[in-house]
Amino acid sequence: MTAIRDSYSAPAKLGHWLVALLLVVTYGVAWTMVDLRISPTKLRLYNYHKWIGVTIFALVVLRVVWRRLRRPPPWPPQMPAWQRQAAEIVHRLLYLLLFALPLSGWLMSSAQGFQTVYLGRWPIPDAIGKHAALGTALTSVHVALTWLLLALVAAHVLAALKHQFVDRDGMLWRMLPRRRRAPQEKP
Amino acid sequence: MNRIAMLIAFGLLFGTAMVHAAPRPLIADKSRITFSVKEMGVSVSGRFSRFDAAIDLDPAKPETSSATLSVDIASLTTGNADADTIALDAPWLDQRAFPKATFVSSAVERSGDDRYTVRGTLTIRGKARAIVVPLTAAAQTDRGLVVRGGFTIRRSDFAIGGGEWNESGVVADEVPVSFELTLGAPH
Repeated sequence: MTAIRDSYSAPAKLGHWLVALLLVVTYGVAWTMVDLRISPTKLRLYNYHKWIGVTIFALVVLRVVWRRLRRPPPWPPQMPAWQRQAAEIVHRLLYLLLFALPLSGWLMSSAQGFQTVYLGRWPIPDAIGKHAALGTALTSVHVALTWLLLALVAAHVLAALKHQFVDRDGMLWRMLPRRRRAPQEKP
Repeated sequence: MNRIAMLIAFGLLFGTAMVHAAPRPLIADKSRITFSVKEMGVSVSGRFSRFDAAIDLDPAKPETSSATLSVDIASLTTGNADADTIALDAPWLDQRAFPKATFVSSAVERSGDDRYTVRGTLTIRGKARAIVVPLTAAAQTDRGLVVRGGFTIRRSDFAIGGGEWNESGVVADEVPVSFELTLGAPH
């Protein structure tokens, strides 16, 4: 099977792995903070969680803009049509959720009366006013979306592993830092 | 004999009334006391919905004016149930042990057209501190007054939110308080 030579551009790779890293951190922070009793630590973690969410949102905006400027490499020719469609759908949904999660978090915070102040310094305006019932509803939306994103990330990771270890088509290398090519690999 | 007694009684009554201006009734639904607590740059605002006031501000004779306020601590709301619970709990306002916060004026002086400076004692959580409150009193067409002003307290002065809440630096020490009191015409 022919190995894939095309690779994602360096900014695309950086954006991908930064978002991946921040997602792992922010999920960890989220699962820790919700179970804590009310304390300064809890408030601190909530703020960190919100700041990371804002950062992810900004990075995903940049990634989408970059994706328009520099198209991702094409699918390998041997990849079946249904897999391409499935990959397209999962990728679109991943982007959609990476926008929707920070947005729902921002709205739920506003409704609960806690403005988002990025890094404790830059206030992000509230789109909606304080409203306890709406805050509870938006919290449910935010939590539901976290599970949906987790499921999509799982599908994404499993698909990447399948390409790497079952199909052995080298798809994963497209998203990994470029290795210095050894001289004998030259065509 | 009875007439003389009545005359003396009337004399005392009116005499007292002339020395002390009659208090103005507080119009509760047009009055509010609000505050905001800042945590990591995020201002969480709240209000007290129940309070009594005996204020006899006489624009003609400000030096004879006086003000006494009593705030029902349990009436605190921030619009967020968790925040309300913390605020009323023992480390913070300790509503069970200290159900009322009070202000008693000691001196009122005019500092401008509609502006006054009120000195007095603020007691929260059983701790009394001298404060200076600048305010404006706008005369209304119905001979009433709308009094607006604000001051900033330090939580540490009243031991509000001690222990971990003071050590961590998460919650700001300064708490701005503002008020708008609508007072009817003197009786």
